[in-house]
Amino acid sequence: MPEPTKKKPGETAFALFLVGLSGFLLWQAWGIAGFEALSSPGAFPMAVTFTMLLSSGPILFRTLRVADRAPLRFFTDIAPPVILIMFAMMLGYAFLLKPLGFLPTSLAFLTLSILGLRRRGLAWSFGVSLVSLALVYLVFRIVFTVLMPQGIVPEGEILAWLGGLFSSGGAP
Amino acid sequence: MIEALQYLTIAWFDPKLLGLVALGTFAGIYVGAIPGLSVTMAVSILISFTFAWEVYPALCLMVGIYMGGVYGGSRTAILLNIPGAPSAIATALDGYPLAQKGQAGEAIGLSTVMSFVGGFIGIGVLAFAAPFVSEFALTFQPRDYMLLAILGILLVGSLSGESLLKGIFAGSLGLLIGAVGLDPLTAQERFTFGVVELWGGISFIAVMIGLFGVSEALTQLHHVDKAAIKQTVGRIVPSWGAIRKVLPLSVQTSSIGVIIGALPGTGGDIAALMAYDHAKRVTKAPEVPFGEGAQEGLVAPETANNAAVGGAFIPMLTLGIPGDAVTAIIIGALFIHGLNPGPMLMIEQPQMFWFITGALMLANVFMLIFGLTGIRLLTRIVEMPRTVLIPLILLLSIVGAYAVNNAITDVYWMLLFGAFGYLLKTYGYQLGPVILGVILSRLIDENWRRAIISDQESLGLLLRGIVTSPLSLVLLLAVLFVFFSQTPVWTGWRARRAALRASGDGI
Repeated sequence: MPEPTKKKPGETAFALFLVGLSGFLLWQAWGIAGFEALSSPGAFPMAVTFTMLLSSGPILFRTLRVADRAPLRFFTDIAPPVILIMFAMMLGYAFLLKPLGFLPTSLAFLTLSILGLRRRGLAWSFGVSLVSLALVYLVFRIVFTVLMPQGIVPEGEILAWLGGLFSSGGAP
Repeated sequence: MIEALQYLTIAWFDPKLLGLVALGTFAGIYVGAIPGLSVTMAVSILISFTFAWEVYPALCLMVGIYMGGVYGGSRTAILLNIPGAPSAIATALDGYPLAQKGQAGEAIGLSTVMSFVGGFIGIGVLAFAAPFVSEFALTFQPRDYMLLAILGILLVGSLSGESLLKGIFAGSLGLLIGAVGLDPLTAQERFTFGVVELWGGISFIAVMIGLFGVSEALTQLHHVDKAAIKQTVGRIVPSWGAIRKVLPLSVQTSSIGVIIGALPGTGGDIAALMAYDHAKRVTKAPEVPFGEGAQEGLVAPETANNAAVGGAFIPMLTLGIPGDAVTAIIIGALFIHGLNPGPMLMIEQPQMFWFITGALMLANVFMLIFGLTGIRLLTRIVEMPRTVLIPLILLLSIVGAYAVNNAITDVYWMLLFGAFGYLLKTYGYQLGPVILGVILSRLIDENWRRAIISDQESLGLLLRGIVTSPLSLVLLLAVLFVFFSQTPVWTGWRARRAALRASGDGI
């Protein structure tokens, strides 16, 4: 595949970041065992980080030389608000998952993100989210028995109560 | 032999395992059929839920997703001219023109049947060849493993991306991620920055879901406003005459698929393109020209990419070296389940090999059944709006990353790699070599150290060992060839030669 002749917004900064990262990691790798021996624990990390530096350097050089892809802008084409907001919501989800629990956090995440992306009203988004979450819960929690944080919803007790209901209902 | 047959058929007669293969195949076809969602994403998210399971059920689901996903990619290639997976790029060349002529149903039906044929040839070769390859692999020296793994990363890095340098960077980055934690031989800390949580390394699952789940979903957010395209299909089951006409070609292209799939670092995408090229050369008088809806052009890539699945399992199970990103993820999953893919697997746990082969056969059958019967249902699901689908994928990514160790740290790692993977992808870096690097990091590190210790820490002796061993020499030459054939010097020379030849023809 031919290489693009123009760069995207932020590409130079990213290439620069990769060079910096490679250099820093090479320095860290050198700190593991220095040039002690070819079989030392630091030899492989040094070879790898050196390769990273050796490849990221020319990439940066090439990126600096090519022209910008004119009409594109970083905050509209590379990281538009929709991506930044969704990412922030995922961070929020991860942050609240343990204290609030899987069910309320997931419901809030799905409702808000579907509402934001679809714009068809809160009731519609909530309904779709509820059905989707019920399916996810059924498949992953009940069938696949994946353990998720319980949080504020006494999920275990509800499941035990439901189980009891069915078993007592089935008994003669 | 009877024992092997018993293990081969375990999944066939166990309703639970049978159901899991069916579920995996269906999920694979479904995800593969959605434009933009790859089989790698399906495998990476779904297998994270199986780590707490017994190994047999987990394997059934994984195998089903892989087989179904490779096939599912062809659906959108035919209907929308958007390959659902890289292995379906060649399918679109003649599949889409067929759909434009109103023959989408026939095209899908034929591609389904021929994928089934290709799949079976691939699995057949796997069953017969793997025991021999594994025996041969026992003679491999540590340096051979090291060279083979480097060759794999280099091939993935150079063949799939826009730049060799970016491919090399991505592969090295993966190797580095795999090296984080305590050194397995000396327990010395590497890139842990004094953080105890990093002693065990960065969770492979977090890296995998971040790179293939989150980053892909974020990329899809760019196209969130695009309405799902209605897909229409007519007749599905192809006639016997149509099948018979392309059967001889399909055997040839399946063979190409198995061989290319079995090479470390090359997978279904390259196999499909090579098979398409082969079909063009051997079909002297196609009824319809290639590129305008030739059935041969549809059948060749479809048989090859499914045959490549069986082929890809050969180096994966016998050498522990993945062929592409999906097999890299499956190898990682096998490690987590306590299996050690490599030549010893066939000796110590032959039942695993035969079980996987049996599950693959089953997945191939389910692929045929779902492919032919569930087309209308699948088209309905594929039309599900992205505005609902993407939040669900992101939710499953978080749940998957959390579920493995019940650790929120893994979720943060996943998000970090999701964002990083998104930027890498946006700026033209391939993610396949990263995951291949993560998986092969330990193998290369350990074999490098074994090799250099056995050669008394002397690079000269190591090099002498390589050039005096035919196998090592071939591998080294292959590494050098792949590297230099992608350098600007070589490509420039070839371009100049082609220009000279063209001008010579013109005169």
